[in-house]
Amino acid sequence: MGSRRYRAKIAAFCFILPALLVALLLLLYPVISSVFYSFTSKHLIKADYDFVGLKNYIDVLTDADFWRSFFTNIKWTVASLAGQILVGFTAALALERIKHWRSFYRTILIIPWAFPSIVIALSWKWILNGVSGFLPNFLVNIGLFEQAPQFLSSGALVFPTMVFINIWFGAPLIMVNVLSALQTVPKDQYEAAQLDGASPLQSFIHITIPHIRVVVGLLVVLRTIWIFNSFDMIYLITGGGPAGLTETVPIYAYNIGWGLKMLGRSSAVTVLLLIFLLIVCFMYFKLLDQWEKEAG
Amino acid sequence: MRKRRLLRRGWFGTSVSYIYLTILAVIAAFPLVWVLVSSVKSKGEITSDPTAFFPKEFTLDHFKTVFGQLHFGENILNSVLVAGATTLVAITIAAMGAYGVVRFFPRFGKALTRVLVTTYMFPPILLAVPYSIIMGQTGMMNSRVGLVIVYLSFSVPYAIWLLVGFFQTVPLEIEEAARVDGANKLQVFYRVALPIVAPGIVAVAIYTFINAWNEFLYSLILINSSDKMTVAVALNSLEGQEVLDWNVMMAASAVVVIPSVIFFMLIQKRIAGGLAAGSVK
Repeated sequence: MGSRRYRAKIAAFCFILPALLVALLLLLYPVISSVFYSFTSKHLIKADYDFVGLKNYIDVLTDADFWRSFFTNIKWTVASLAGQILVGFTAALALERIKHWRSFYRTILIIPWAFPSIVIALSWKWILNGVSGFLPNFLVNIGLFEQAPQFLSSGALVFPTMVFINIWFGAPLIMVNVLSALQTVPKDQYEAAQLDGASPLQSFIHITIPHIRVVVGLLVVLRTIWIFNSFDMIYLITGGGPAGLTETVPIYAYNIGWGLKMLGRSSAVTVLLLIFLLIVCFMYFKLLDQWEKEAG
Repeated sequence: MRKRRLLRRGWFGTSVSYIYLTILAVIAAFPLVWVLVSSVKSKGEITSDPTAFFPKEFTLDHFKTVFGQLHFGENILNSVLVAGATTLVAITIAAMGAYGVVRFFPRFGKALTRVLVTTYMFPPILLAVPYSIIMGQTGMMNSRVGLVIVYLSFSVPYAIWLLVGFFQTVPLEIEEAARVDGANKLQVFYRVALPIVAPGIVAVAIYTFINAWNEFLYSLILINSSDKMTVAVALNSLEGQEVLDWNVMMAASAVVVIPSVIFFMLIQKRIAGGLAAGSVK
């Protein structure tokens, strides 16, 4: 009997073994080796390297550009996330509201989600192109601007423009998930609230929000991380410029690792990034746990 | 129809909803439409009349340039091979893993979600450094097989997450009946559980394929010869060339984005449900 149960355990374990191997070899091991290299002078091309102790960390933490990119990253994340949630949420509520054409609107609205980052970059660069782009010329034609606005090279416009593109890209994911979370709210509670004379806004705050906040909360965690880490879009559209105005930490790390070829120092940057994200994530999970308890 | 009653708030709110959604739909769809329109306009027209919507003369010349002169077909083949192999391997590993967790280690469900979220938290740029070092050491730099292996790092966790939700819907009784008939665990898995979740698996497989097809950073740092480049990186290197021809760029963009959009529309409903289900469990 004992050996049969043992064999059953092994069989069960075999199912999850490949996934565990992926996690260990492709995620855990690289992260650990990143931490290891962050204490070395590893170069992109040269094979030999030395241990340099905390030098990389000190160099990074005393670099004004690092701190600038860190604060740009925070600004980028907060502004994009707020915009994505606002647009995604309101679009989901509007979709719940209408009776006709619902799946038509829904299908059109999710198009940006499917865009590869390179096509996001190329299409928007073309639309916003300062000479022959659609939008600058359109704005001049309707008389809003006298000269074609340079959305991606003007210091005042580039950051809001990038945030706009990120909202365009990310709002559909929020919308679709809020929509499916809304389906889980028990409808009879609305009716009861309506009988008790609650306004639609009150119903929304006291019934809708508590029901969907755990799902939406986790979604927000994931989006925060994802936006914080986003590399492609910024790298491909502005490369961090003009004058470093859109340089976030991942771009800064890339420029050090592949521009200056200092992989060791680049690792130190990414390890700091991970530590920061772990702290943020931990705080979010505490909050989610509390919400789950409240929901019972 | 109960829903309609509870959302009864007069015609004003409904009209505002329609107007709002229409504006959003125009913004959402515009880049795709503009890519397509620009790819079939003549060279002179896109510069002489930048805001004209319909092309005065329709041409497919830019697509000919993309496939003829730029050998984009080669890059498409690379992307199909890499994304296809990634999907096949990732779905096999993820389906077994998701089933294993749901059936044999249900208590780890919540822990699993958190582990998956944690892997989601690793910045791609953090993994890029060790990946480029490891691939250099193992001689897999500039190799499509190496790229597939690296792609498993994000496709397996994501697929597991989505698939856990689907496997939870498989009734245990059906499986127990098969066990009584003498089937072993593996047989129960692929003869009983897999067919039930097959539609979900197809959706997740397509999603995995799209994500691999769209991936950029790892492909950028791991592949450096143009004959092995995936479409995303090939498009990027096109932009680096001296004479920027927006017609050709938009034609190439259209070729890359259209399959993504079409496949995505086919599976979006299933994926969204799975995402929400996976995130509460």
